[in-house]
Amino acid sequence: MEQPDNLIHQPVRLKIMAALRALPQGGKIEFVRLKALVDATEGNLGAHISTLEQAGYVAVEKDFAANRPRTRIALTRQGERAFEDYVSYLRGIIDGGATA
Amino acid sequence: MTLSSDQATESLKEIHRTGRRSRQAYGYANSSPFFVLWGVIWMIGYTGTDLYPRHANLLWAALMVAGVLGTIVIGRARAQAGDPHPGINHHAGWRFLATWVAVGVFIAATFTIFGHASHEQQAAFTPLIVALIYSVAGIWLGVRFLVTGIAVAALTLGGYFFLHEHFMLWMAAVGGGALVLAGLWLRTV
Repeated sequence: MEQPDNLIHQPVRLKIMAALRALPQGGKIEFVRLKALVDATEGNLGAHISTLEQAGYVAVEKDFAANRPRTRIALTRQGERAFEDYVSYLRGIIDGGATA
Repeated sequence: MTLSSDQATESLKEIHRTGRRSRQAYGYANSSPFFVLWGVIWMIGYTGTDLYPRHANLLWAALMVAGVLGTIVIGRARAQAGDPHPGINHHAGWRFLATWVAVGVFIAATFTIFGHASHEQQAAFTPLIVALIYSVAGIWLGVRFLVTGIAVAALTLGGYFFLHEHFMLWMAAVGGGALVLAGLWLRTV
């Protein structure tokens, strides 16, 4: 990878992807919990999640839990691969193996 | 766009920080219902022990079975709902059973070595082991588990030494209550 993936490189989206990547396989995280983790406003987080969803990096699931609406986000396989590539790119820069 | 080595290092640090916080929050949220379940079991068990001391062993055996089954049911329900617990999969039933057998054998072996133990001593010993498990888990996985472990140990010892005559009811209300409250606290992450 010569250039960083700009979709992931943005600071809030990087945190979103890192938070999702840390979940066990198939794990989902609630929107409100993710908001606290990445320290973003609701609108800001929603916009970044939409961007990642359009790229196919995350999947958004909306349902009801205990009669209350719930939004949960999960990393897709495509997102997982893109994130691993991005991490490899960063490590390559540190190791001097990538063009910096 | 190109990145410097310092920027790449900072990005990796951020990934590590956020990932650690995410794992911790996920662990807290997934542990929450189990704390509530076992808190209720403690409440029933210690209240029953106070009211019907002769049937305490039978009551606790039944509650342990109910607790293990409840733990398995919650774990499977969460996995089906898309909240898999890192430590709970299709082998969880045997692992929980084996864990309780190991804890039970340890407690029995300890009482065998130290000789006769009163009902209160026996009733205090198990919560202290549970507190130890939470504390060790807290050291490795998250400070909230550590706080819960310390609270359970402190409440158990406090009740044992200062409310000896009402120790069972103390453990029902405060010991079980502490677990329930801890479960609700973990959910707030």
